[in-house]
Amino acid sequence: MDLNKYAALFLAESREHLTTCNRLLLDWEREPGSTEAVAGLFRAIHSLKGMAATMGYGRLADLAHRTEHLLDAIRGGRAPAGAAVVDLLLKSVDALERGVDDAAAGADAGFDPGELPAALEAAAAAATVQAPKPARAAKGSGKKGAKAGPSTPSEPAPAALPVQVTDFADEAGRVVRVEIRSDAPLPGARAHLALRRAEQLGKVTGVMPPATSFDAQGFDGRFTFRLDAPFGESHIVRAIEAAGEIASVAVDADTVQTAEWRIPTAAAPVTTASARSGQVRVDRRRLDALMSQVGELVVARNRLLELVQHEPGSELEALGARISRLVSDLQAEIIEARMTPVWQVFDRFPRAVRDLARQLGKQVRFEMEGEGIELDRAILDELGDPLLHLLRNAVDHGLESPAERLAHGKQSEGRLVLSAARERSSVAIRIQDDGRGIDRRSILAKAHREGIVGPEVELLTDDLLLKVLGRPGFSTAERVSSVSGRGVGIDVVLTRVRAHGGAVEIASTPGSGTTFTLRLPLTLAILRVLTARIGTERYLLPLSYVAETVDFDTQPAAEVKGREAIVLRDRVIPTVHLRALLGVMGGEVPARRPGLVLEVGDRRSVVVVDALVGQQEVVVEPFDAPRGTPPLFSGATILADGTPALILDAAALV
Amino acid sequence: MSHTVLVCDDAIFMRTMISDILTQAGFEVVGEAETGVQAVEKYRQLKPDLVTMDIVMPDMGGIDAVREICRESPEAKILMCSAMGQQALVVEAIQAGAKDFVVKPFQPSRVLEAVQRVLG
Repeated sequence: MDLNKYAALFLAESREHLTTCNRLLLDWEREPGSTEAVAGLFRAIHSLKGMAATMGYGRLADLAHRTEHLLDAIRGGRAPAGAAVVDLLLKSVDALERGVDDAAAGADAGFDPGELPAALEAAAAAATVQAPKPARAAKGSGKKGAKAGPSTPSEPAPAALPVQVTDFADEAGRVVRVEIRSDAPLPGARAHLALRRAEQLGKVTGVMPPATSFDAQGFDGRFTFRLDAPFGESHIVRAIEAAGEIASVAVDADTVQTAEWRIPTAAAPVTTASARSGQVRVDRRRLDALMSQVGELVVARNRLLELVQHEPGSELEALGARISRLVSDLQAEIIEARMTPVWQVFDRFPRAVRDLARQLGKQVRFEMEGEGIELDRAILDELGDPLLHLLRNAVDHGLESPAERLAHGKQSEGRLVLSAARERSSVAIRIQDDGRGIDRRSILAKAHREGIVGPEVELLTDDLLLKVLGRPGFSTAERVSSVSGRGVGIDVVLTRVRAHGGAVEIASTPGSGTTFTLRLPLTLAILRVLTARIGTERYLLPLSYVAETVDFDTQPAAEVKGREAIVLRDRVIPTVHLRALLGVMGGEVPARRPGLVLEVGDRRSVVVVDALVGQQEVVVEPFDAPRGTPPLFSGATILADGTPALILDAAALV
Repeated sequence: MSHTVLVCDDAIFMRTMISDILTQAGFEVVGEAETGVQAVEKYRQLKPDLVTMDIVMPDMGGIDAVREICRESPEAKILMCSAMGQQALVVEAIQAGAKDFVVKPFQPSRVLEAVQRVLG
C-alpha cells in the first residue's frame, strides 16, 4: 500500500486533533471535574495513535499510546486531574506536535520525546495504584505487555486443562479444542468469535479457561469446550475455522491437527462510482493557484472591456459583458472557497496566553468571541503572528500583577478579550485588556527626545500614539517594561495589516486598559479601487475606504488646528493634497478638482486629486517599497493596459 | 453486483484508507459516518451489506452503535476496527453483535480476509 498519498491527510488531521487537545486541556484545567474534556482528549489521542501506527510512525505512535494510557487511567476515575497531570499532558501534546512534524518530514526515527515516556508511564502507574480495583494493579505488576505465562497463579494453567475437562465429562457433547494462531492480534476476542461460531452449531458448555478470562493477559489462545451438535467432525472444524485466525481445531482428539489456512479471494472488481458525498479537502496551494489565475483573468477581462468599449452595440461587446459576469461569479466562488473561520488561527492562543501568564505570574481570564467570523485564508495566515504579538504584549505589559491589580482596587484576575466581528465589508479584530493602559507621558517624552514629534505636541492622542509606537524600532530600543508600554514590534503589526489593505487603531485609557483594533478586508487578493490621476500619474485608492467624492474647489474652506480643511455637512474634515504629498510636478492643475472623502474607523480626511479616472478591480501584488519611499502605499498592481500602479494606504492618509 | 459498505470512523484518514482498501477490492463504499449516531442513521437509510465500525467515536461510540443497529437489524454485518489493547471492548462489541474485527494498523490483506469472513 502506498502510504505517501495518506501523508498529507495524516498531517492535517493530526494537527487538528492536537489543536483540539490543547483546547480541551485548557477546558479541563478550568473545570477539573469535566469528564467531557477527558473523553474528548482520549478520542483525539486515540485517533492520532491509530493514524501514526498505520503510517508506520512507530515512535510517534508509542508516545501517543503512552499518553492514551494515562488518559484512560484518568478516564476510568483512577486518577485525579491535578495541575501536574495537565502540565504533563500539555507537554505530551507539544511533543506529539513535534513528532507529527518530524514524521511528516520523514524523520520519525529521529523523533526523541526525551523523558516524557517515562513520566507518562509513572503518572499512569500512580493512577493505577490509586485504583479502587486492586485486581488490575496486581495484574499490571509484571512487565507491561509481557505474557504472564502459565505459571502465574491467578491464571488458569493450560497444562491442567485435560484434568479440568474431565470434570465436565458427564456433560453431553464432544470435546473440541481450538488454538488461535500465535500471531493473531487480540487472541481473546478471536476466541470469542470462535465460540460464537460453535454456538451457532449447537449447545456449548464447559468452556475452559472460562470465556470471561479470554481477555486476560495470560490467555495463550488455546481453549476447549464441549459441543453438543448434530454435525460431523469436518463440518464442525470448518465452521469454527471460519471465525478466522485459527491455527487448529481438534474434535475428540488429543493430537493437534493443523488446519490449512486459506486466504479468501476478494470479490471481482466492479467499476461503480462510489456515492460519497459531502466535503473534499483541497490543498491550499491549489486554492492559491486558482486565485492567482482568476486574478490574471480579471486583469484580462478588464482589458477586454476597455477594448470592446470602442465597438458599442457589437456582438463582441455583448460577449465581453457576458464573460465579465462569468469571471465575477467565478471569482466570488473562489473567494468563498478560501474563506476560513478565524478560530482556525485563534485556537492556538488560549494555550499561548495561559503559558505566558503562568510564566509571568499573572492571572488572566482569556476570552474569545466571534470565532466563526470568516476571513480570506491568506489574510488569516498572516494574522497569527501579529495577533500573538499583541496578546503577548497585553499579558506582559498591559495586565498588571495580581498584587498591583488588588492595590488599584481591581480583581486580581486580568481580563483579556480577543474578538472578531463583521463591520461593513471588513472584519474588525480586537484585543482588549483591562490593564494599566499605556503611559502616554513617558512615551511622549521619548518621542520628544527622538524628535518623532515636535516640541509643540503636549499630548499624545490615540492616533499620534499609534504613529509613535509604530515607528520601526521605536520600542525595541527601550524595552518597554520601563515605559509600561506595549510597542515591541508594533511596527511589524502595522506593516503586516496595512500590507493587506487593513488598518490598525489603538485606544488606551490609563488605569483601565488598552484596545487594539485590526480592520481587515474580507479578502485581499482582489481589491476594488478608484483610479485617481495626478499630473500624468495614476494612483489607486481602495474603494472600501472611500465614503464619497466631493467637488473640492466649491466646498467651504475651513481650518482645523492649523491645517486646511473643508466643511461637509457641518463636519470639519482636514484635507490632504496628494499632488503636494507625493511631490508630483508635471501636468496642469485643473480649476475644479475632486476630493475623495476617506473614512478609516472614525477618522476622516479629504484627499484632493487632479481627476478621477474610474473604478476597477485589481489584483494586489506584494509590494516591497524601495528605500526612501514615503510610507503611503499598501501595495502595487498591474493595470488593464499593462502599466504598473501603486495602491495608496488609506490609513496613512487620514 | 458488488457489495455495499458503510465506513464509520471519526478520522478522515482512517475512513479514506478503509474506503481505498475496499474500493480497490471491488466494494462500493456507499456512505461514511463519523459518529455513532450517524452510523445508526446511515445504516437505516442505506442498508449496506457491510459496516466497518470504529470503536472510539464521539457522539455514541462504536459499541453502542453496533447494539443499536443489531437491535433494529439482527442480520447486520458489522466489522469492528479496533486498536491494540482494546480487547475487552472488542469482546463487548462481539457480544453486542459485531461479526468480526480487524486491528489497526490495517493490513489490506487482513482487512479483506475479515470482510470475506463477515460476508461469508
